[in-house]
Amino acid sequence: MMFSVYGQTKMSSSQAEALRNLVKEQAETTKTIKSDFIQYKHLDFLSNDIITKGELRFKSPNLVKWAYTEPFEYAVIFKNETLFVDDEGKKSQVDLGSNKMFKQLNQLIIKSVKGDMFDKQEFNIAYYALPHGSEVHFSPKDSKLLEYISSFQIIFSAKGDVEQVKMLEPSGDYTKIEFKQRTLNSRLDDAIFNP
Amino acid sequence: MMRFLILSLCLLTLGCGSYPKKADLTPTNLQVNTVSNSYFSDLTKDYVYKAQIEVYGKTFGGLFIIKKIGENHHRVAFTTEMGNKLFDFSFNGDNFMVNYIMDDLNKKMFINILKEDFSALIKEQLAVTGSYQKGNYTIYKTHILNQPYFYFIQNEGLEKIIKTKGGKEKTSFLFQEINDNIADQITIKHQSIKLIIQLKSI
Repeated sequence: MMFSVYGQTKMSSSQAEALRNLVKEQAETTKTIKSDFIQYKHLDFLSNDIITKGELRFKSPNLVKWAYTEPFEYAVIFKNETLFVDDEGKKSQVDLGSNKMFKQLNQLIIKSVKGDMFDKQEFNIAYYALPHGSEVHFSPKDSKLLEYISSFQIIFSAKGDVEQVKMLEPSGDYTKIEFKQRTLNSRLDDAIFNP
Repeated sequence: MMRFLILSLCLLTLGCGSYPKKADLTPTNLQVNTVSNSYFSDLTKDYVYKAQIEVYGKTFGGLFIIKKIGENHHRVAFTTEMGNKLFDFSFNGDNFMVNYIMDDLNKKMFINILKEDFSALIKEQLAVTGSYQKGNYTIYKTHILNQPYFYFIQNEGLEKIIKTKGGKEKTSFLFQEINDNIADQITIKHQSIKLIIQLKSI
């Protein structure tokens, strides 16, 4: 059955399968990602979203650097089992192995960067067609994770690239990240992931 | 023996002396009914700060958000830089409500400390129960949640709030780099526990 939610059209199962294959193929051939991002933190009680900007660097299989440059400098590097933080020069680290929730979030961040989150064991998944791409909603099945995030909503381009990730909280507040100037498979030195 | 007793009594008196005496504040007789803190008083503004919290040697950061949503009514929330919400409180008059707190932080003692700190941070009009002078400061005594607080005013601007207990300074709130009625730098420092909250307006 086809129906529309807020201008989105629900995909047929064959369309959904085609999208899954496209994103998986894209994720498998993606060795590096360089991208700028704009993050919007929406809290219902605020007049405006809080806007922060920065750069994302990803190197397969699991190096991620997430660096804010505006309006402050703050970077996190996901490397092995550790999260390295550089907070305007103050450096610290978090052992992800010791915190299940952090570990889970870390894996989700890496997966969502590539969009490859199509795990029916972990999520209830809903597919929508957009005029120039598609939108997929991943709702966690894990009740613990569900307390933090009610759904991840990813917008893919027609080519299967991630254009936007939205993490919706049970309260209705959300964090939306738009990726800009995304380049795939350009050379990325390992050194940029050094804490 | 008598000398020892007198000495002990003196020390005891000094130890339990009032905060104004210890801090060398000179009492004055100003006819002032209220002291005000207007740093979070604008309904149209979203007050957003980059925060660094040092607690028992550990540092963590995030975004600290205050919004006035009505008369004597504020929301105070804290998220990580990446947007995960850690807590979200409502202060409505004397009512305090936890809208959300992450499981790991959901400890009564911790919530109480934050409740006291943020109550002092956002209270706009306070009844004055005493006035003092020290250097260029005019100081007003008031009470929040039944605890004595001292408001340090210089050139008509609020620079410092000191919370006291048993005559001793317990927590200090420092407001710096005031621009357009916004304190761009705020430091909340606890004396009895190792907790420092530093806020920088963004």
